[in-house]
Amino acid sequence: MSHEPFETLAAVYAAGALDGDDLVQFEAHLPGCAECQAAVREAQDTLARAMLSARPQTPLPAVREALVRRVERTRGAGRRAWLTWAAATAVVAAVAAGFTATWVAVRYEARLGQMARETAAVKERLTRNEAALQEQVALYRGAVELLRDPATRVVDLRGQGTAASASGRMIWNDAGGGHLFVAGLPPAPAGKTYALWTISGGTPRAAGLFGVDASGRSAHRIAPEVARGAVGVFAVTLEPEGGTPAPTGPIVLASK
Amino acid sequence: MGTPGGDLIRVMAAGDRDAFARFYDRYAPFVFPFVLRIVRDRADAADVLQDVFWEAWRGAAAYDSARGTPEAWIITRARTRAIDRVRAVRRRGETFVAAVDEATVGAPTPPGGDAAVRAEERQLVASALAQLSEAQREIIELAYYSGLTQREIAERLAQPLGTVKTRIRLALARLREAVTPT
Repeated sequence: MSHEPFETLAAVYAAGALDGDDLVQFEAHLPGCAECQAAVREAQDTLARAMLSARPQTPLPAVREALVRRVERTRGAGRRAWLTWAAATAVVAAVAAGFTATWVAVRYEARLGQMARETAAVKERLTRNEAALQEQVALYRGAVELLRDPATRVVDLRGQGTAASASGRMIWNDAGGGHLFVAGLPPAPAGKTYALWTISGGTPRAAGLFGVDASGRSAHRIAPEVARGAVGVFAVTLEPEGGTPAPTGPIVLASK
Repeated sequence: MGTPGGDLIRVMAAGDRDAFARFYDRYAPFVFPFVLRIVRDRADAADVLQDVFWEAWRGAAAYDSARGTPEAWIITRARTRAIDRVRAVRRRGETFVAAVDEATVGAPTPPGGDAAVRAEERQLVASALAQLSEAQREIIELAYYSGLTQREIAERLAQPLGTVKTRIRLALARLREAVTPT
């Protein structure tokens, strides 16, 4: 075999990328070949210089301080007489330390895993909360925007029938849609939902379905597309889940 | 930076703490961005940096100037430790893959690390590596920073093994010109 292939292997070896048979072959060859030793040395130096040619960046002073402290602690404790007999007990200690280290490592890994899970859970909760808040802010902002328009009306809705204690307030703009805020409405029974209707000229038009939270409150946005023409009356009925094209259930809230 | 670094290591080997501090001050600002580039996390990089210089202090007596420059001595060590760290972090991630995967790994870590790390990558590209062609730089990065072996690189780049070896050799030759003062 000519020497040429080894020169290539020397470069790959210096870059830390040699593997398989090439690695076995090269490592067998290297100790006896001054030329390859020089080639590896030179390639490693080249790589080091290249890596060190980047713009310097001083690491945190804490790293230096920790190292200096560590260096100061260890020196001087080097060659003391007790080390001789200490060596005798070292085997016993090493075995014990081995067990302890393994145990600590296992515990540590487990704890790390637990922390990772906890962190993930907290992160997820925060993300959810933030999304909910954002949504709420957007809703309120929309309502405030609507209120700035002089054409916007605020209409009160009164509880009817079994929901007599409920109340509602509609912020409505014939061009921009509206916001319905509801309080005191009992949660809809299973399989049912609340439906809002805009009634103009005696004809009800579906303006969306909504539920209420545990405290009987709700904020429901009515898209501008729904607002077509002047609305006379707003009403809320209890309807089967999924809604109906026209009101069928009892009226729970209505404007005058 | 030839002999003075070697002198420092020799004095360090004799137990001189000031020499260690000088050695650190001289090389840490260069080793740190290099390590950071590999591990991509400042806290990890600081840990690795500490390990590397601690080993340098402990192993100073074993330094043999005939076997390499001080720069190669410290950088080779830093590369090994940094790649070990990346692999350990990856293993840890795999151990808890079920818990960590969806929320932590899946979520908001941008592919290139944080902005600071990306800025450092740009700085590094402005170094001697910038003298290489895109393809040459890529192969050096895969080998030296990512710690891939020749076979893994061949697979990654979908190129014959022989081509990969030759390209590494050529890239190193080009790099050598770039770092040799003219």
